[in-house]
Amino acid sequence: MNLSRKNKQSIILLAFVLPSLLFYAVFTIAPAFGGVWYSLTNWNGLNPTYQMVGFSNYIEALGNDPYFIKSIGFTLKYVIVMVVLQNVIALLLAVLVESRRRSKVLFRTIFFMPNMLSLIIGGFMWVFIFTKVLPVIAEKTGWLLLDQSWIGDPSFSFYSIVILSLWGGVGYQMVIYIAALQGVPKSLSEAAAIDGANSVQNFRHVTLPMIYPAVTIGIFLTLSTSFKVFDAVFALTGGGPGRSTQVIAINIVEEAFRFNQRYGYASAKAIILFIIVLLITMVQLWIMKRREVEA
Amino acid sequence: MQNAYSSRKKRGPGNIMVLLILVIAAVFTLFPIYMAVLNSLKTDGEMLNHILALPTSLTFANYSDAYHKIDFLRSFWNTIMITLIGVTGIILFASMAGYKMSRTPGKLSQFFFAFFVLSSLIPFHSIMITLVKISKELHVQGSTYGLGLIYIGLGVALAIFLYHGFVKSIPRDLDEAAVMDGCGELRLFSVIIFPLLLPITATVAILNALWMWNDFLLPLLMLTDSDYYTLLISTNMLFGEYNNDWSAILASLVLTMLPIIVVYLLLQKYILSGIAEGAIKG
Repeated sequence: MNLSRKNKQSIILLAFVLPSLLFYAVFTIAPAFGGVWYSLTNWNGLNPTYQMVGFSNYIEALGNDPYFIKSIGFTLKYVIVMVVLQNVIALLLAVLVESRRRSKVLFRTIFFMPNMLSLIIGGFMWVFIFTKVLPVIAEKTGWLLLDQSWIGDPSFSFYSIVILSLWGGVGYQMVIYIAALQGVPKSLSEAAAIDGANSVQNFRHVTLPMIYPAVTIGIFLTLSTSFKVFDAVFALTGGGPGRSTQVIAINIVEEAFRFNQRYGYASAKAIILFIIVLLITMVQLWIMKRREVEA
Repeated sequence: MQNAYSSRKKRGPGNIMVLLILVIAAVFTLFPIYMAVLNSLKTDGEMLNHILALPTSLTFANYSDAYHKIDFLRSFWNTIMITLIGVTGIILFASMAGYKMSRTPGKLSQFFFAFFVLSSLIPFHSIMITLVKISKELHVQGSTYGLGLIYIGLGVALAIFLYHGFVKSIPRDLDEAAVMDGCGELRLFSVIIFPLLLPITATVAILNALWMWNDFLLPLLMLTDSDYYTLLISTNMLFGEYNNDWSAILASLVLTMLPIIVVYLLLQKYILSGIAEGAIKG
């Protein structure tokens, strides 16, 4: 009796989960395992046959592919800059926006607007700004700093990629921080103010600890999205000039779909990206958990 | 009391600094959009010579040019179809699964949940190569409906996670009362439970619609026939082909942005709360 009830329950559960399970298994799990499998082969996408080659793809990617290594380095630099700037700016804007009364909604609406647009669209608009508008502004105002080869010169295109990414990403982070700030009881900061805390002290010692969970989320989100950056770089520089602004995702896409169609080799790079993101995510969560407990 | 407190604070010089920073940030945010709109209304010559100035007369020729070059109506329709199929499928399947898993105790249910949560660790770039191959074999590659189905498979897990959490806030008494009254499982879910899930369904719909509408890499890899191009793919093709035809490019960017900005301004309250909720729970 009891067992049959349990069986019935399991069957109903299965019936409810099955559609999701099917789609998820076919379009997410199977490709994930397939990726691991193909990363151990020399499959090239065109040829129907392929051989197992062990870990030689991984050895080649990490030992004998300077462009891939360079793309990891470039991505790392991008990630660090983005995690810091995106969260600092978003938190600052969130605090400032929250301090307004009537203009609060207006500013929030404006700052989030770029997040509604694809970075492909945003990227093309910024190409226009960088290549057509800024030189004119530089000429009119005499601010020669603005007149750079923002897209064509690798030492500047890093900054243009960062500018575009911040433009398109800060608003999202800001919304998270605003939601967190609204959860901080007013009475706390008022009490601190009465005790003589100025607004900076108040923020540092009262507000910031209260919104720590949101900061965890914010950093965690920027970290994983920046590692996977594709659209912003694709729209702005396409990874160029040459391969100087290639990020990991662009390197993988080019390896698989553009140049040599070495699917097996590209799969190995894709798994390396997966492992990097996984490791960083785990370290990040571990550190954050520990600090939360301490605080 | 609180008003007195904040209005006193508002008068200081700090307040002007705050406003100044916010205005500068707002100008920076809107500048590219403003420049795109402004110059999309100029003739080529005017753009070349007076890129910062207001247009002397409004030219809509760029728009009809862009409209044809990106085949706007068809691209728009394709994007809508993909998003509609994907979002509907995700809401339907994920609400069922999330609800039942949340209500069923035991190992099997926990296993399913862990299995779905696993997806949050897998970056799209790590599966895309094999995904293209599998999609080809299943003949879902290269069409709008196929792309919609793929999005269901990619997005359903996160939605299940959101539904799973939300269902806990719905009292179990409801289920039990309905079952006592002889209500079947499917009816219980569709008539009684699903309407109660509306707040989280709205969040799921907003998050997924935004993602599918703005997603670029998946359609870039999957769509080879221009009949099925989405707005982004068409715009990208235009950008690649007519690299320096900024009049047409800017007009097509504005055309592509316009629907989403209108939707945003109309629904911004819901969109922003949905985003905040999705980020905090996901």
